[in-house]
Amino acid sequence: MKVLVTTRSGRELIKGGLNLTDSASVADLQDAIHKRTKKFYPSRQRLTLPLPPGSKQRPTVLNYKKNLKEYTDGNTDELTVVFKDLGTQVNYSTLFFFEYLGPLLLYPVFYYYYPVYNFFGYKGERATIHPAQTYALYYWCFHYFKRIMETFFVHRFSHATSPLSNVFRNCAYYWTFGAWIAYYVNHPLYTPVSDLQMKIGFAFGVLCQVSNFYCHILLRNLRSSEGGGYQIPRGFLFNVVTCANYTTEIYQWLGFNVATQTVAGYVFMAVAAAIMTNWALAKHRRLKKLFDGKDGRPRYPRRWVILPPFL
Amino acid sequence: HLAQSAAFLEILHSLFGLVRSPVTATLPQVSSRLYVTWGVLYSFPEIRTHFFVVSLVIGWSVTEIIRYAFFGFKEALGFAPAWLLWLRYSTFLILYPVGITSELGLIYYALPYMKETEKYSFRMPNKLNFSFDYYYLAFLAVGIYVPCSPHLYGYMLGQRKKALSKAKTQ
Repeated sequence: MKVLVTTRSGRELIKGGLNLTDSASVADLQDAIHKRTKKFYPSRQRLTLPLPPGSKQRPTVLNYKKNLKEYTDGNTDELTVVFKDLGTQVNYSTLFFFEYLGPLLLYPVFYYYYPVYNFFGYKGERATIHPAQTYALYYWCFHYFKRIMETFFVHRFSHATSPLSNVFRNCAYYWTFGAWIAYYVNHPLYTPVSDLQMKIGFAFGVLCQVSNFYCHILLRNLRSSEGGGYQIPRGFLFNVVTCANYTTEIYQWLGFNVATQTVAGYVFMAVAAAIMTNWALAKHRRLKKLFDGKDGRPRYPRRWVILPPFL
Repeated sequence: HLAQSAAFLEILHSLFGLVRSPVTATLPQVSSRLYVTWGVLYSFPEIRTHFFVVSLVIGWSVTEIIRYAFFGFKEALGFAPAWLLWLRYSTFLILYPVGITSELGLIYYALPYMKETEKYSFRMPNKLNFSFDYYYLAFLAVGIYVPCSPHLYGYMLGQRKKALSKAKTQ
């Protein structure tokens, strides 16, 4: 089969096209393109079927697992694909590792290295450390340590990668918020809440973190049985809410904030919840669309999206 | 009093501005004016006698007179005279730098008063475990001027090119 590769402006990316076997897959095509162009490794390539000019439709993206034959009309031995360079890519695990590393390392600096507050203009001796601040340190560091461990040992990432620019964007988000919260919780003039409130907050938070871990295990097991396709999540909280993993994550931050009570912490939780809600709505919609009850497919059950009792 | 009337104009300006132009152009403009009017001039009377207030108010007033005259013509007669169009898209070339310099200058001269009076600042310890330093916010505001000013100026240059070439072809 002959494959012509053009750019979105119509220029031929590979002069003369490529020759592949009739049973070749999209992945084979990507490897062939990489061999010829050297710079564009497969995860950087976005290959689509050409659209007639002026068409408002979204172009079909070639799935690396499928055979090229599935994208031809069936009668031609020639296929034209449109190439887009997605830029330098990184693995999701790389991205997650760096964005979580910041909060894990920066927070203890504010707890242990007092001169930080002198730098910010605080004149005075080191104040006594409240138990709440110590527990907060353990809680926070455990949380990000858990996230890093899950990244390497629990999560099953699809083939997808992320553009390099996301590393800077995500690290800015996590590291800035991490430092901002750490500044207030470990401040010499920090005012702790009542002992009871602190205990309830941390206990609830730990409970949610454990639940969150279990949710991740359940999601991981969904991935292993079916090769890459979507499944209806089931079990535990997933029976009630589509994105139970996000739910437990948000409520876990609520626990932390109830225990530590800082404006910075609550703002972070609100922003994180907003971001996750965006993702959850997309996922919920996608699952409902896929599991429409037709053609023998099960119908997606009625569930909360992300945050019972609100959404 | 000058500050009060200028602020009133800004509120009207934002209502109209948000309807016609992109947010990335109107938001920095509106917020910088509100910040300078209320957050600097109104709050720190000591700087109201500075020369920059004069250049600022003249700059804003001239711009607004031309802009509203332009809109007035368009609404009332359906078109605006060529000389007015030219004014609307050319005076910014000088007035933007004048205005920006005045705004930055006023913020700069207000800094010592911000630091001394600690106005609008919120200190620890408190139940919210939160703090806010208005003095350092001013530094952040100045920092925002750095990317925003070239962006706005460039936007206006683009608008000028579009508007004046369109007028030529008509």
